[in-house]
Order: sequence, then C-alpha cells, then structure tokens
Amino acid sequence: MEIFRFILAALLIAGGLFVAIVACKGMFKFRFVLNRMHAAALCDTLSIMLVLMGLVVACGFNLVSLKLFLIIVFLWFASPVSSHLLALLEVTINEHLHEQCDMTEAKRLCKEKQVDLSEVKKDLAEEEKEAANGK
Amino acid sequence: MSKPRKDYEELKSVRFRRFIQGEREISTEVSMEEFQRQMDKEHEEDERLTYNYLNRPNVEMDPQADAKRFAEITGMKRFHKVYVFMAFVLCICIIGLLIYNVAYMPNYGSADAPTNNEVSEKYLEDGQADTGVVNMVTGMILQYRAFDTFGETHVLFIATCAVMILLFLKGKDEENAPHDPELDPEPDMILQTVARFLVPLVMIFGIYILLNGHLSPGGGFSGGAVMGAGLILYNAAFGFTKTGRFFNEKVYDILKVGSLALYAMIITYCLFTGANDIASIVPLGKVGAILSSGLILPINILVGVEVACTMYAFYALFRKGGF
Repeated sequence: MEIFRFILAALLIAGGLFVAIVACKGMFKFRFVLNRMHAAALCDTLSIMLVLMGLVVACGFNLVSLKLFLIIVFLWFASPVSSHLLALLEVTINEHLHEQCDMTEAKRLCKEKQVDLSEVKKDLAEEEKEAANGK
Repeated sequence: MSKPRKDYEELKSVRFRRFIQGEREISTEVSMEEFQRQMDKEHEEDERLTYNYLNRPNVEMDPQADAKRFAEITGMKRFHKVYVFMAFVLCICIIGLLIYNVAYMPNYGSADAPTNNEVSEKYLEDGQADTGVVNMVTGMILQYRAFDTFGETHVLFIATCAVMILLFLKGKDEENAPHDPELDPEPDMILQTVARFLVPLVMIFGIYILLNGHLSPGGGFSGGAVMGAGLILYNAAFGFTKTGRFFNEKVYDILKVGSLALYAMIITYCLFTGANDIASIVPLGKVGAILSSGLILPINILVGVEVACTMYAFYALFRKGGF
C-alpha cells in the first residue's frame, strides 16, 4: 500500500515538473507577450497543482494536506485572474497587436456585439485632435 | 465704509492675518482694462517662452562644453578633479575599514562566536518562561528586542510620511484634484467576481497570522502584509469610491498614528517595569493559549495594523495620490 502511494506521489510530482519545464521553455521560445503569458499561466496553475497534489498524497490526509489543498484553491483562483488582467493591459496598450496575432475571432465577436472598431478609432482620433487644438 | 472699520482694516496685523489666510486684497484702483492688459502681457510672455523652447537650437551638446558650463554654474571649476579624487579616496577608505573589521569577526562555527555562546542558549532555554511564547522568534523581536522593533515600526511610519510629502495631492483646485471617477479604469467583471470571494479569505488569513504570532510562525509584520494585500485587492477590484466607505484618509490617520502611539505607550511601560525590576501587571497566562504571553499579542496587533496601513498607503499614493 505504502509503495503505491509513493509511486502515485512521485508520478504526480514528476508530471508537475514536466509541465513546469515545458512552460519555462515556452516562455523563452515564443516571441509575443500573449503567447508567452499563456505558457507562464500554464506553469502557474497546472504544474503547481500537480506538485502540490503529489505532496498531499505523500503526506496523507491531515491538517498539512488540508493547507496544501487550500493553497491549490487559492492559486487556481488568483493566477488565471492575474494573467487575464495582464493580457487585458497588453491588448489595451499594444498598437501593433494585429500584426502579431490573428484577430479574426475578435473581429467576429465585435460584429456580433455590433461594436465597430473603426468608429471607435475615429472617435479617438477626433478626441485627440480636439485636445491638440485646445492646447 | 465707516472710518473706524477702515482704520482697522489698514492695520498691519490685520493685513498680515489676511495674507496668512490667503485672502488676496483686490485693489479697486486698478481698472478692469489695465488688468486685462497685464494678463495679455503675461500671456504673450508665456507664448514667447514656449516658442523659444519649442524652436530651441537642436545642437548636440559637446560634453566638454557641457562639463564647463556645469562647472561654471556650480562653482566647481577649480576643484573639480579634487572632488572626484577625494570621493574616490573616501570610498576606498570606507571599503578598507569594513574589510578590516571583517577580519576581527570570529571564524564561522567557532565556539567563541556570539552566535554560539550563552546568549542564544539563554533565549532558547528561558524564553518560554520569560515571555510565555511558543514561537521564540516573536518572543525575541517583541520582548527581548522590543525597542529595536519599535524603531522598525517608526521606519514604516516615516517612510509613508515621506511618500505622502512627495505624492499626496490635496483636492483644492481642479487640476490637482486627486479623484476623478471618470478616469478610473473600468472595473473588470472577472476580477470583481474573484475578489468578492478572495478578499474575505485573504483578510481572515491575515488576521489568523496576526493573532497566532506568538504560537506559530507569523506575527505582526507578515500578518499586516497579508491584510494590506487584501485591501489592495479590494481597491483594485472595486475602486477608490467603495474603498473610501470604510478606509478613507480619516480612518487611515487614526489607525496609523493611534497604533504607533499605543505601541509607544506599551513600550514605555515595558521599559519602566523592566528597568525598575517591577513585575508587569499583565499576566503571562498559560503557554500555548491564544490569550497568553502578556503584552506580545497587543503589540502584534498594533504592528500588524501599522504594516497594513503602510502597504495600502503606498499603493493608494502611487496610484492616485490620495486615499
């Protein structure tokens, strides 16, 4: 019984390390921020969960494993949200986003919600002009 | 205007008081046209300066000439090289002194070293009986070296004061008004949903660390940092208007100054009783209970409040320049 538990824990931790290594490789291999962020978010969620689950299995069910489980829950809440906010910032401030990634899906969504990107751009340009004239 | 009143208003003290209060005396002798002319003149002057600035000669500054001008302005013309040389010598001297002092330190792991002598033994053996804590680190920093921790808390207080001096914007005129709700970023729904769930957890965890400082690893500094992070998360999700309902400048002032003042009073009491060999009236209690170890628990709470306020103040000041 003990040996099975050990093997299960070892497999989980090894899987987590594998995912972490893949994520590290991805972080340096990709060129653009959003792709790299995808890799980093993978490391934050899946690999840490696998490693911590391995530790939970290894130490059995007691107060320590409950705390480890709470850490997993916290990370699974916090990490994707922080990645989402970072990606949102990138999309907001990056002017050359359409050169770096495929925006067809975003355009389709805009059409469905009847948001015209060109109109938004026109409005922004007019506002800029007004601001320049005012000064 | 009656004569006594006019006399009164021409008194120097009255004028001075008005000047202090910021009331500008509007002279009725200056006509509106003259005033307009003056304003136009100032405006022209401004425009001329701006024009000169925008059309300034775009010449690459010669570094030698630049240095010469700098020397002329600062008056460091003659002794420039001497200053550089002296700075170099001073640096070398300080480095040499420090290295010389290192030579006098005991060898790593030697039996005479202060880390291995009776001081740490005394802390570990008598610590629980002296202070009534389970976590000896807390007992060290809040009982044996309480004065040192008091200084650290002051450092936090002074740091926020310095940041406030530099970044605090008082909302008197519209240009400097710190809060414009329209300029706040649009609240993100995902962040709000998660924050609604996470903020209470983070705060409870911070309070747990804070109150368990004498029983388990933790204490005022770490617990306060977690609580400050919870406040920052709430602010990032819901904005300054909602945070201001329970944590505004007034609350901040009361918490920050109040906790430091209470801490000072407790420390004074501890020093007084310790120096005069009087037994403290606060009982140490049963070792391991949550309400034990005398004054360490209140000190932990005060330090935690101080740290949480510091964290949040830094965030708020750097983001908006106010609370």
